[in-house]
Parts: sequence; C-alpha cells; structure tokens
Amino acid sequence: MSRTMDRLEQARPDVTDAIDRDALFAQIVATPQDQEQPQISRCGRRRLLIGCIALAALCLTAGTAFAVTGFNLFGWHTDTTIVKSPREWQRLYHDATRQLTLPPGEHWPDRTLPPNTVTSRTQPGGTAVAIAQTAWECYWVDAIGHGDAAAGRQAHAALDDLLAHHVVVAPPGSPENVAPPAGTKPPFAIFASDGGIQYTRQMYRDAANGHPATLIQSCRANGPVGTR
Amino acid sequence: MTHTETQAECAETRFAEVFQNLGSIVRYAAARGSSDPEGIAAEVMTIAWRRLPSLPADDPRPWLFVTARNLLMAERRRTGRQAPFDERHAEAPAPEAESGDPAVTAALMQLRPADRDALLLVSWDDLTPAQAAGVAGISPVAFRVRLYRARRRFEQALSAQQGGINGPHTVGMEST
Repeated sequence: MSRTMDRLEQARPDVTDAIDRDALFAQIVATPQDQEQPQISRCGRRRLLIGCIALAALCLTAGTAFAVTGFNLFGWHTDTTIVKSPREWQRLYHDATRQLTLPPGEHWPDRTLPPNTVTSRTQPGGTAVAIAQTAWECYWVDAIGHGDAAAGRQAHAALDDLLAHHVVVAPPGSPENVAPPAGTKPPFAIFASDGGIQYTRQMYRDAANGHPATLIQSCRANGPVGTR
Repeated sequence: MTHTETQAECAETRFAEVFQNLGSIVRYAAARGSSDPEGIAAEVMTIAWRRLPSLPADDPRPWLFVTARNLLMAERRRTGRQAPFDERHAEAPAPEAESGDPAVTAALMQLRPADRDALLLVSWDDLTPAQAAGVAGISPVAFRVRLYRARRRFEQALSAQQGGINGPHTVGMEST
C-alpha cells in the first residue's frame, strides 16, 4: 500500500504562486482586527452547557432543601424543634404560665400532649397565651355584664399587654410551621399575617368604647363550654 | 512603547507564524479546483488576521484549511458550479488540478468525497491525521479508520485504472 501512497504523493499538483508575500502581509496587518471577544470553542460551549446544567441542578437542589428545611425571612424560619414527650410539653406549658397572668379567680387548666403526638417547642407557650387571652376576654365580658368598669379596664390592659408582648405576627407567605427570629422571648402565640391582630385590636377598642358585641362573640366562641 | 503598540507587535508576530501557511492554502485551493487559489489563500489569511484571537493557539492549520474549504464552497456557489456527485461532495471539493498522473486522478475521482478528502489532506496537504481530523470535523480515531479504508479503496481503484488508463474508457478529469 505504501507504494501506492508514494505514487499519490508524487502526483501532487505542482502549484506555484506569484504572491508577493511581504506586500500581502503588510496589506493584511494594516487592516483592523475584529474587536469581538474570542468565540467560544465547541469544547468551551460544551463546558459552558455542562456548567449551566450543574448550576441549574444546584439551584434545584438548594431550592428544595430551602423549601424543606430553611424558610428564612427576616429571621423567621421553619420551626424544626420537636416535643414528643407529654412531660416535656407540660414543663414548657408551666414555664409559660409563670410568664402570664390570668384574671382574678382563674386557674390554669391542666393540659398535656396527647399520646403519639409531636409538636414544636413553641406550641405549649402558644397554648398558654391563647388560654390567657380567652380568659381575659371572658373576664371583660363579665365585667361589662356587671357594670364593673375597673375590672373592664384591667382586662383591657391585660389584653393589650398580651398582644404587645406575647403575640407575634408571621411575615406574609410564611408556612404554617414558622418560628420567629431567635431571641424572641417565650411564651408567644403566632398570628398569621391575615389581619387577625388588627381585628382583635379593633374588637378591644370597640368594647372599650361601649360596643362589646364582637368581644362577647369571641368569648362565647373560644371560652369554656356554656360560658356567657 | 505604549501598551497598544506592544499588543499590535504581539499580534503581528503571531500572525507571521500563521502566514507561513499561505503556500499550503494556495496548493489546497488549487488542488480542489479553485479558479482563484491565490485569492482564496489571501482571503483566508485576511480572515485569520481579523479573527486572530479566535485561532487555536497551538495549531492553526486545521482552522485555516476549514476556512479555505468554506471559501471554496462559496466560490462554487457563486460561479454556479454543481457538485458532480452528491451533496457530500460539497464538503470535500474534488481535485481538478493536473496531478501529472492521470491514473491517480481517475482513481481519486472514483472514491467517495469523504475518502478522497481524507487521502488528500494527508498526502497532498501534509497534515497529520490529527490535524486532518480537525479539518474533517471528526475524531482522530474515526479519521484514522476513514483514512485506512480510503487507502484500501484508492489502491483498488488505482489497480483497476492500470489496465484501462490507456483504453477508450479512461476516467477523465472532472468536468465542471
């Protein structure tokens, strides 16, 4: 085969050119070069494509991980703390009750975690806040019923204090199992950002201004069965 | 000396190395039937200068040959010349120059365009198989396989030509 290839090489056309190389070179280098960036080679494009795919996969993975574990907005985050022991739940509940006050003559009800249940560590405190709120609302309704203005003012002050110091409002769009920024002092109840706290404040203002209908309704809905 | 002047000198130095291939491009274009091989080569060099940063730094020869091939095909389109065999021929312009060996030319014309191109890139254009693979746009391994088969087919075609080169059915040069 090599003899055949030799013959092929020998058959190469004898081409002579009459190009004035120096002149052509000078003429070419006198022209401007393209200012565009070097084109990305096929290999470079492939690397770029692989990089984009890897980045997309990373974003997807990170996004999923974020959604599962890491909602975080202004310190608000997904609550991953867990209480599954009724004894632990009761301890947290009692701790919360010591931070809160009930109307005169009221006692904290016994509460515990139902068996085979888990919840977050902020939930016992939230329960205590809700109990105190309902108790004070009903105390206020009783005071109105008895014409006890002083008791009414006491209830109003207690409820305002509760809203100011033991209720936090989650940012709009927060998931259900959200927790406030670290450092928020327990106990606290978490309100959704749906206007609920504004409604409650208005309800208390109305009651203080002689329009207790909504307050009475709230007590009847949330208080012990047979209340008022 | 300013930074811009230094850059310009660097570019000219690099282009001078690229420019050494001018003769190869003229031969390539002539052997593929260009009506103006010198013009093709000059245009290739002009494009190479314009796009110097895009040229492969290690070995610009495959890039130059691919550019020349594209210009050859553009020339064919401009002059309204049709590819004589099939569409693939457009990817490998046929030899039209006098090779000095009619049997060789006839044998080459019997090959598939891709086989012919593989043979000529290595035998006439002095490209290594790796460089020629870059021109053909295939992997070096695939090119070696193509080259091996092309050599076998060329040998068979040349053997067949030996008996008939002087007869009435001589396969002539491509008429375009």
